[in-house]
Amino acid sequence: MEPDAASRKESDSLALVAQYSGALAVVFSVATACRAILPQTGYLFSALMFLMAIVLAGTRWHRGPVILMAILSALTWNFVFLQPQFTFRIKNPGDLAVFALFFIVALSMGHLTSNLRQREDALERHHRERESLLAERHRANLLAESERLHRTLLDSVSHELKTPITIIRTALDGLASPNPYTAEITTATRRLQHIVDNFLGMTRVEADALRPNPNWEELRDVIRAATSPLEEEFRSRQLLTSGLDSLPLLKLDSRLLAQALSNILHNATSYSPQGSPVEISASFLANSLEISVRDHGQGIPDGAENAVFDKFYRGPDVHAGGTGLGLAIARGLVRAMKGDISASNHPDGGACFTIRLPAQAAPLSP
Amino acid sequence: MNKVVIIDDEPQVRRLLSMVLKARNYEVHEAEDGPSGLQHIAFLRPDAVLLDLGLPAMDGLSVLKRLREWSEVPVLILSVRDEEALKVEALEAGADDYVTKPFGTAELLARLAVIQRRRFTRQHPEITAGTLTLNLLHHEASLAGDRLKLTPTEFSLLHALAEHAGRIVTFGQIIRRVWPAQLSDQSEALRVHISHLRRKLGTTGPQIINEPGIGYRLIDS
Repeated sequence: MEPDAASRKESDSLALVAQYSGALAVVFSVATACRAILPQTGYLFSALMFLMAIVLAGTRWHRGPVILMAILSALTWNFVFLQPQFTFRIKNPGDLAVFALFFIVALSMGHLTSNLRQREDALERHHRERESLLAERHRANLLAESERLHRTLLDSVSHELKTPITIIRTALDGLASPNPYTAEITTATRRLQHIVDNFLGMTRVEADALRPNPNWEELRDVIRAATSPLEEEFRSRQLLTSGLDSLPLLKLDSRLLAQALSNILHNATSYSPQGSPVEISASFLANSLEISVRDHGQGIPDGAENAVFDKFYRGPDVHAGGTGLGLAIARGLVRAMKGDISASNHPDGGACFTIRLPAQAAPLSP
Repeated sequence: MNKVVIIDDEPQVRRLLSMVLKARNYEVHEAEDGPSGLQHIAFLRPDAVLLDLGLPAMDGLSVLKRLREWSEVPVLILSVRDEEALKVEALEAGADDYVTKPFGTAELLARLAVIQRRRFTRQHPEITAGTLTLNLLHHEASLAGDRLKLTPTEFSLLHALAEHAGRIVTFGQIIRRVWPAQLSDQSEALRVHISHLRRKLGTTGPQIINEPGIGYRLIDS
């Protein structure tokens, strides 16, 4: 917007200079032409020619050049055509009256015509603004409509995918048999559910369909919500938390944060040996919440600290399985909340993921 | 034998749920859409209703609102969507609890049992939830026999949760109950009082569980 406005201003002032010089040129040419035909036409004809030139200029030019032209025409007419010629004196009292009248008519004509032009300009500008406003609104409507369609599609796809999984799970629960084949189906169903959740999650993140809805929350609740879908993963390992007691109530979207944390925790359990603990520590300083998740696995390969958040990135320890989307989703979720996430290796081994999030602390906090 | 009406447009879901419930001695009736579901309920007077929120034509929320005009039957919402706002809307419109698909059978049965419990009216002014006892006459609470020192706000908060022990209570429902005269947003105060209450309840007795974006649930662990 800025450079555009500046360049428009520049071209405006250039046009004005051109109009001023145009005014001089027109007065000069009208004077020369009328002077050439003066014996045939008489000096009153030249006065009318000047007035016509002023009216024409007024329909196109700005007020300044037109007024200048009116004054200049009156003076030139006096100087070149009125007796005695080539002086500004006027001998005949009748000529003086005509000159005064000419001066007034020239000025008011210049003024009126340029007024008219300005009004036309304003009308046109108004039309243009209206049109661009309408176009803008049309675009916004289209966007909202496509977003709504997108959401409807997501909802229906998610319904279609989750319904069969529900049926399989319920049927397996009903079987409740110690058959080893059943156990395999159960594991595969859990994996399938995880994959479906991740793909839907990624689509939501990419569709920019996340609207954070912050509320006052205890981080403890968020962590509980994050770990509840990971019951299976944490059956054989400990989740150690620290720093939670000193946190105030925080205004944040617990659902988005819980989902992000859940993905990071799932990643931690996938890439660290069975039975090793996962540690969460949290701190709040200067309206910024920092949550770190540390595991006791192999850590992140050198140079891959950013790449781990890329879609479909898979660690070298491929046996872990998974979609390679979990951390990409986590980053999308955290960014939707105006925060960011980073990965590093802990000095004592294991990977460490850190979420930093702007958050407001409750004044009433205990 | 407890009667249950299932309203879900997926035949396979209906079939499976009805197998699961019949195995637990429920008498099960199925309906594939809202209008026929409402007819079943009016005619059969069931003990509980399982209602899918994503029904075609007349959606689950409308069915629920229509139902609540003339019936207090306990309703358990079946929902696949993660949309918390919709669940809250359903709960505030009179649903008793919800499960999110895909759900486990154990979870479904537990929720179903809890929502039917509320039908038995209390004869004496005492509420118990696990080791927690609330005496409504004297406004006293005790945990495993030990008296809890609660402020009046904490007591009414605990009362709101314990009355529906095991069931979800939305933030809005709690706030309207505890601060009926307050027009300003009390969500921060609610969190602060919950955190005090949790400290007083400790970690051994009943726990107040937060369900993000929806509300609190008191469970006796």
